[in-house]
Amino acid sequence: MKNEKKTKSKKAGLMKSFRTQKQIWLICAIALVWVIVFCYVPMLGNVIAFFDYVPGKNILDCEFIGLKHWKDFFALPDMWRVFRNTLVISGLNMTVGFVAPIIFALLLNEIHQTVFKKVIQTISYLPYFISWVVVASILMTLLGTEGNINGILQSLGLIDKPISFLNEKNMFWGILTSANIWKDLGWSAIIYISAIAGVDQELYQAGSVDGLGRFGKVWHITLPGIAPTIILLFIMNIGNILNAGFEQQLLIGTPLTKEVYENIDTYVYRYGVQIGRYSFATAIGLMKSAIGFGLVIMANKISGKVADMRLF
Amino acid sequence: MNMVNKKSKIKTSTGSKIFDVFNTLFMLAFAFVMIYPFWNQLVISLNEGSDTVRGGLSFWPRMFTLGNYAYIFQRSNIVRGALISVLRALVGTASCILCTGLLAYVTTIQHFAGRRFMRLIYVITMYFGGGLIPTYLLYTQLGLTETFTVYWLPGLFSAYYMILLASFMSGIPDSLAESARLDGATELKIYFRVILPLCKPVIAAIAVMLAVTHWNSWFDIMLYNSSGNWDTLQVYLRKILLESEQAAKLLNDQKQYEAMRNLTTTSIRAAATMIVTIPIVCVYPFFQKYFVGGMTIGAVKG
Repeated sequence: MKNEKKTKSKKAGLMKSFRTQKQIWLICAIALVWVIVFCYVPMLGNVIAFFDYVPGKNILDCEFIGLKHWKDFFALPDMWRVFRNTLVISGLNMTVGFVAPIIFALLLNEIHQTVFKKVIQTISYLPYFISWVVVASILMTLLGTEGNINGILQSLGLIDKPISFLNEKNMFWGILTSANIWKDLGWSAIIYISAIAGVDQELYQAGSVDGLGRFGKVWHITLPGIAPTIILLFIMNIGNILNAGFEQQLLIGTPLTKEVYENIDTYVYRYGVQIGRYSFATAIGLMKSAIGFGLVIMANKISGKVADMRLF
Repeated sequence: MNMVNKKSKIKTSTGSKIFDVFNTLFMLAFAFVMIYPFWNQLVISLNEGSDTVRGGLSFWPRMFTLGNYAYIFQRSNIVRGALISVLRALVGTASCILCTGLLAYVTTIQHFAGRRFMRLIYVITMYFGGGLIPTYLLYTQLGLTETFTVYWLPGLFSAYYMILLASFMSGIPDSLAESARLDGATELKIYFRVILPLCKPVIAAIAVMLAVTHWNSWFDIMLYNSSGNWDTLQVYLRKILLESEQAAKLLNDQKQYEAMRNLTTTSIRAAATMIVTIPIVCVYPFFQKYFVGGMTIGAVKG
């Protein structure tokens, strides 16, 4: 009886709200149409992964082929190379690229002249705001055969002939990781710097009383203080393990280094947009998202158990 | 706090002092590594191309010239590209803030029945995306390719910025909007007159992030505006990069010919790079407090 009354009043409330809150509902209608068209339709669009989609044809008229695209992909010799490159590049980003900003934040925290500290921090995130196109241009100049790196190495007598670094297969991963770190280090460090600032100052005083030295304080107070932040960001990164980036690869990769830079994202781009095998490329992209989503769930569970920290 | 600092300063050991010296040196070297690549580009862009080829150019132009910039500005398209870049940054930023702000406001109106639903339907889009190819096919079917619309319409609403804005708006006392409502103000009026002015700090942060993203984007232009009618500065720079790849091959074959000319791809590329970079370098020191603030809000709520 009571419930009935409640639902009735709720319904009446909704009707009344339609009448009295016209503007709000209008805004919502626009926002709903937009989100359906630009977010949910592409989500549904992933179904072409299961069809042999021909552009311009209704999807229902296309042949349903189930998992054939994945079977094809796993039968390709390319596949292992693409996976290897993806995992190596994002593995480097998740290890070296993950630790670097933490070390930078800790070192910066040990600088006591406020102005100097501020200037360094401001400089540190300049590259973050620069596009990859610019970074690629800079790399081409510095690492080119007439660039300064070759100049220095030659004048030191370390090499006889200039090396075209960006065309060297062995160096590509190193160059790419360095470029990623150079670009993102300062920006990623912001969050650690603010976490360090949030560590209870009384702990340091207590540490001094207990005879902790400067390094002892970093090891026993600062690091444990920012550990939750570190763990949280690491979990978030695990979900991105298959996102090895594609802008940088497309810009600084050359035909000579294709063997080491081609990753899942650039592969999807090449097959989908450039070659026009839409269904096949969608299938690979969908697989990537599914694996990524699974990894986030898993990492979230593990960290919930081990460190009692969850993202959601 | 001060007391402790003084105390610890007295107690600093030699090891600690050595560390300070090395740490300062490290930071200086770090600053050099961050800045020098840009400086190097600037020097090359102001140096005669034929001289740059000789190498050894490091801190100052040897043969000063503005010829590289002059060459770029003579290419009529580049001015148009710059205008489109600016227009894209302005339209994209303004439209997203206006619309996402409205959406965020709607999700914070306590007596509005649909607010949880709206929030949920947007938050879901943060975890599930359409993927490159379905999105590409959709834009093609909608006729968004080869238009300026593709620069701002797909970014009109953003779930992430909605959360950021909503978390800031929920900190504004309800009584402000409520009293305006009692005075008979419509929701749009309340949004523009009461809520937006109070959100200035977070809006500034988001505006900077959006404007920089729009200024820097090139991949979507390559995908959706491949004909070149709506090329921005970034795309021109990328085209020069690609040209120089081919030119580098030529250079190996006809090194002497290339060296005879005053312009080289390297110097033109450097000049184009500086034209794209300088606006950002000029703007970002002034706005950094906003985006650092935005980043920390995002970190807490995200």
